[in-house]
Amino acid sequence: MLSIKNLHASVEGKEILKGINLEIKAGEVHAIMGPNGSGKSTLSQVLAGNEAFEVTEGEVTLNGENLLELETEERAREGVFLAFQYPVEIPGVSNLQFLRTAVNALRHHRGESEMNAAEFMKLAKEVSRQVDLDPAFLKRGVNQGFSGGEKKRNEIMQALLLQPKLAILDETDSGLDIDALQVVSNGVNALRAKDRAILMVTHYQRLLNHIVPDYVHVLAGGRIVKSGGRELALELEERGYGWLGIKEEETANSSAN
Amino acid sequence: MKPAPTLSTAFLHPAGHTLPEPLAALRRQQSSSLVDLPLPTRKTENWKYSSKYLKLTDEMAISLPADGKSGSSLAVPGYKVVVLNGIMMPEASDYPDLDGITIERFEDLDGDTATWLAERLDHALDSQSVQISRLNTARFEDGLLIRLKPGAVLDQPLFIIHETNADASGSAYPRIYVDAGANSQITLVEEYISSGTESAMVNTVTEMNLGEGANVTSIRLNMEGENVQHIGSTGVLQQRSSRFESHCVGFGGPLRRHDLQVRLEGEGADCKLNGVVVTQGKQHYDNHTTIEHVAAHCNSEETYRNIAADQSHAVFNGRIHIHQDAQKSNAEMNNKNLLLSNGAEIDTKPELEIYADDVKCAHGATIGQLDETSLFYLVSRGIGRREANVLLTMAFINELVEQIPVEAVRETAQGRLNHFFEQTFQEA
Ligand SMILES: Nc1ncnc2c1ncn2[C@@H]1O[C@H](COP(=O)(O)OP(=O)(O)OP(=O)(O)O)[C@@H](O)[C@H]1O
Ligand SMILES: [Mg+2]
Repeated sequence: MLSIKNLHASVEGKEILKGINLEIKAGEVHAIMGPNGSGKSTLSQVLAGNEAFEVTEGEVTLNGENLLELETEERAREGVFLAFQYPVEIPGVSNLQFLRTAVNALRHHRGESEMNAAEFMKLAKEVSRQVDLDPAFLKRGVNQGFSGGEKKRNEIMQALLLQPKLAILDETDSGLDIDALQVVSNGVNALRAKDRAILMVTHYQRLLNHIVPDYVHVLAGGRIVKSGGRELALELEERGYGWLGIKEEETANSSAN
Repeated sequence: MKPAPTLSTAFLHPAGHTLPEPLAALRRQQSSSLVDLPLPTRKTENWKYSSKYLKLTDEMAISLPADGKSGSSLAVPGYKVVVLNGIMMPEASDYPDLDGITIERFEDLDGDTATWLAERLDHALDSQSVQISRLNTARFEDGLLIRLKPGAVLDQPLFIIHETNADASGSAYPRIYVDAGANSQITLVEEYISSGTESAMVNTVTEMNLGEGANVTSIRLNMEGENVQHIGSTGVLQQRSSRFESHCVGFGGPLRRHDLQVRLEGEGADCKLNGVVVTQGKQHYDNHTTIEHVAAHCNSEETYRNIAADQSHAVFNGRIHIHQDAQKSNAEMNNKNLLLSNGAEIDTKPELEIYADDVKCAHGATIGQLDETSLFYLVSRGIGRREANVLLTMAFINELVEQIPVEAVRETAQGRLNHFFEQTFQEA
């Protein structure tokens, strides 16, 4: 489904991704782990189309279609979804209005009729319960004043509403208490489907107890330095990143100096 | 050196409409005092960004006729008074006999009331800072006197529809005086619209006196056409423990100027001034506000937001003057601006003069652009870029629009604003 070949990307002239290769098939869940600053969020943002990052080399296709040629909104309409590591607060736009506009943009793209306010309200309430968010959150500004955990649940709620083909979850497990982790994991597991690929960025093996990945990759210094099955995550938890030969100076963070 | 331009004598011809003598006398007197009135130039401090938009031709000196042919048929959720080219149209107006409230035309006032009114007109405005608005007193042909007896409460908003009909070139001088007795309450909506396509100028003055404990909410919608220059002044005097709330929503034009001057004269008076302005194309809008903290223990809270697109120009000048005896004053002023294009211009200036020592006074002004991170978040959900722009721009002013207390007015404003933004981003 998703094919990434020799992807290089930089921000403000500094190269962050230095040749990423990754294949994800429909139905698979891949986890990406790696030290801070290694480029995990950069990869996620590049896939979603953030123009702050410049792709300098390589190719990315989704079901054979060149993703890099598409605008951000077109990617979303083709089924790319990114759950942000830091969801954005937008006071003045209600969550409900935001979600309905997004759902209708996708429906419109598929040639379906738009949902009216009442229909959408019903759907939104169901989905908000699924992630254990009080429907009162729908009335508030997008992520406005939401706690860290509430923001993450709001991201998963959006994924459930938008039903993407490729869901990229950037540290959706960070900052969650035990119950919230369970709720979010249930949400992600509900997303798991034969025709959907999931790319999950995480620092913690504990998430992988709830959502069992098919593959685990280690991203360091802008490259995937190791791939394996879920046991790789356990090994990383026990031994850290040192045994892989990753040193501080190899991370993207310091290599530009 | 070129002599400074002065107001053309064409503007000082006596007005046509007969008025009760005390008002007619005031009009004559003001008219003769305006001979050689200097017009604002770039060097006039409070007009320096706007003088270039003021274009008065002798053709515009003619009083626009109000022959009753037109008159707004706009449905309003409340009582309605229609003022066409500065003259009230009883046939087009619709309000019942109200308990404790009188709404009268200047033309119909008895001698005593006219004398009483003539003594009060022009007292709520600082004539030095609103020079050009003095032209209103020299030219008004009619006016509305709205009086509330102590304790009177108007159960529905009163809409004053000011229509400028510019089938021919000319000018109009609408005038309103509101005397709100102690503990009375009223919500007043002033809506400025226009018809016709010839170049016209509206010079409008509204004055209000809020008695002890009176509560007045004023909503002003400025929606005239591209052929109409608008110069408006609102002066408010507040007695003890009165409360004044103002919501101004303005769309740009060839010249748009609104001076809002509030004097907190009695202890414990309270005012809240909100304003939203949007400009596009080559439009202009200039809001000048002044809050005079004269008495102690008064609060003022002011929030204005401007959005300027294309090559348009918005100006905000907020003056807060805290007098020596106004201890324990609490004044907050905030002005945020959004530039939607590199060609647009926004000028903002807070002016604080504080002569009392025990006061709280906070102010802030920012000029920015749409936030890229927010934009990316929206489009990453499949929302089109244009729609995302509209959502974010609306969000910028929603906080203020949502505070407009009359739902139907709020919806009208929202609808107009939405339309404005859709149009703005279509072209982009
Ligand atoms: N907009 C930006 N401007 C400058 N540098 C950036 C920008 N965005 C990311 N970087 C840099 O790129 C590198 C990779 O950042 P990225 O956010 O992708 O790391 P990460 O692997 O997600 O880290 P973490 O685990 O802390 O979330 C870091 O050195 C970061 O400082
Ligand atoms: Mg990250």
